Amino acid sequence: MKVTVTSEIAGQVWKVVASVGDALAEDDVIIILESMKMEIPILAPRAGKLATLHVSEEDMISEDQAVAELEVP
Amino acid sequence: MSWDADIDEINRRRELAKQQGGKDAVARHHEKGRLTIRERIDTLLDANSFNEVGEGAGVPEYDDNGQLTDFQPANFVLGFGEINGRPVIVGGEDFTLKGGSPNPAGLRKSVYAEQLALQFKVPLIRLHEGGGGSVGGTGQEKKRRSLGEPVFSTSRFVPLAETLGHVPVATAALGPVAGLPAARLVASHFSVMTENAAVLIAGPQVVKRALGHDLTKEELGGPQVHLKSGAIDNLAKDEEDALSQIARFLSYLPNNAWARAPRITCNDPVDRCEDTLANIVPTDRRQPFQMRKIIAHIVDHTADASSFFEISRKFGPSLITGLARLNGHSVGVIGNDCMFYAGAMTAAAAQKLRRFVDFCNSFHLPVLSFVDEPGFMIGLDSEAAGTIRHGTAAISAVLQSRVPWASVQVQKAFGVAAQAHFGPAPYVLSWPSAASGALPVEGGVAVAFAREIAAAPDPAARQRELEDMLAISQSPFPRAEGLSVHEIIDPRETRPKLVAWLELAQAAQTDPPKPFMTTMRP
Repeated sequence: MKVTVTSEIAGQVWKVVASVGDALAEDDVIIILESMKMEIPILAPRAGKLATLHVSEEDMISEDQAVAELEVP
Repeated sequence: MSWDADIDEINRRRELAKQQGGKDAVARHHEKGRLTIRERIDTLLDANSFNEVGEGAGVPEYDDNGQLTDFQPANFVLGFGEINGRPVIVGGEDFTLKGGSPNPAGLRKSVYAEQLALQFKVPLIRLHEGGGGSVGGTGQEKKRRSLGEPVFSTSRFVPLAETLGHVPVATAALGPVAGLPAARLVASHFSVMTENAAVLIAGPQVVKRALGHDLTKEELGGPQVHLKSGAIDNLAKDEEDALSQIARFLSYLPNNAWARAPRITCNDPVDRCEDTLANIVPTDRRQPFQMRKIIAHIVDHTADASSFFEISRKFGPSLITGLARLNGHSVGVIGNDCMFYAGAMTAAAAQKLRRFVDFCNSFHLPVLSFVDEPGFMIGLDSEAAGTIRHGTAAISAVLQSRVPWASVQVQKAFGVAAQAHFGPAPYVLSWPSAASGALPVEGGVAVAFAREIAAAPDPAARQRELEDMLAISQSPFPRAEGLSVHEIIDPRETRPKLVAWLELAQAAQTDPPKPFMTTMRP
């Protein structure tokens, strides 16, 4: 089953931490946004394999935008 | 002659009242995974404490000899009861009868719920599932038009509004709730909805006709809409969870605005100093931290549970609001969540703060404020949302407070919005990580010293230099020197300091409590 990971805030992608294919545990960092001068991590909502990344570094993203897809068992 | 026949008739009618919408309707309701209103009330209340009001109200059918041939109960169940030995009024629509859309007796009972709560000054709980009036009206008479309310009757919205100032009101949406029941649902201090509930002004068919939008009722008014809209405070995973959240919410509150919240025995040491607090705030201001963990470390907790009960997490998420206990006293807690826009005050966060502070004042709860405020949210979306007005209204509410107020400055307190975290005559503690001023250095320096930075041989180095210099002026030490804060403390000391203050502050509340009145706000 696929789970879409969305960002609850707007901001700019500062760093992509995880790579497609990575096996992530719940709360592992996928990307870090810069928003209001702070580095805000977007975390895996549950354990799974990172199937797709929809964003790259320096992309501007808006509230509720999908940033990644997780393949979960 | 005896009264035996009449007594039998009373018992027969009691049986009929409990049939609700009939066996089939109840079975269909259970198939959807839902409890009936009577099961909900039994789950919520202490065993055998339900004392029903108006059990015999309903819609009768008589034969030509005046004998009762059928009886449709009122589709609103109402009565007194107890939760953990404390009195409440509870009521709710019976969805198994006409989908909860009121029959005449049901409407009368539903309107009476608020009046009983006002008369007996006890908390009111409404468990909603049902629609509002239908275009055909509530009357049973198909051939004759039923009479409307007379012009001299009191609007049902008068007691609905008044209850909020007099008694705690907690509500739940446990299925589809539309029209008048939806209005009653949100006329509360705390509302909770289950995953499969929907809250609607009007349902999908009406919306489709008027606007051409083709949406299901879940898409229109499910939790994903109304937890963020702020119409509903909390999500419950199932009905039992919803009812237990209501019971927990009420446990922090007095029975009415003329009383203070009960104090419970506190087994958590008042001098508990958590080592992890010392370095929980990163020294690098770009790094976020978890304000909820800070709150949890400071307020009372037992071996397995924190006393912190969060309210309205998804609405205006840059501000955290909730209830907790400190040394057994009920308190309101607010705190910025820097994971959302550095904790900035959005229009939604401001509305949430104003409502929460008014609620704390209504029931005389002291406020603990954990401050990390970068200022009002900036940008076009924020301007368009009217943040400046909502924010100024929130500041007014805070400064019109009459409850004891303590503020712990954890990190930022910048701009006008910082005022929203310090009530009148607050007790102010500052952590070493605190920083105060008109603007955070990171944004402010680049703007205020733009020319100087541009003219420097190494602009980036000059900017850093200026930022470091100004950061020192924003440090808490000069503020402590000037008695602009009561104390600058080791974060580990926060709990004992707050407990000592709260004992003094509560002892100083010598005026008898009464309903809170306020002026118009911006």
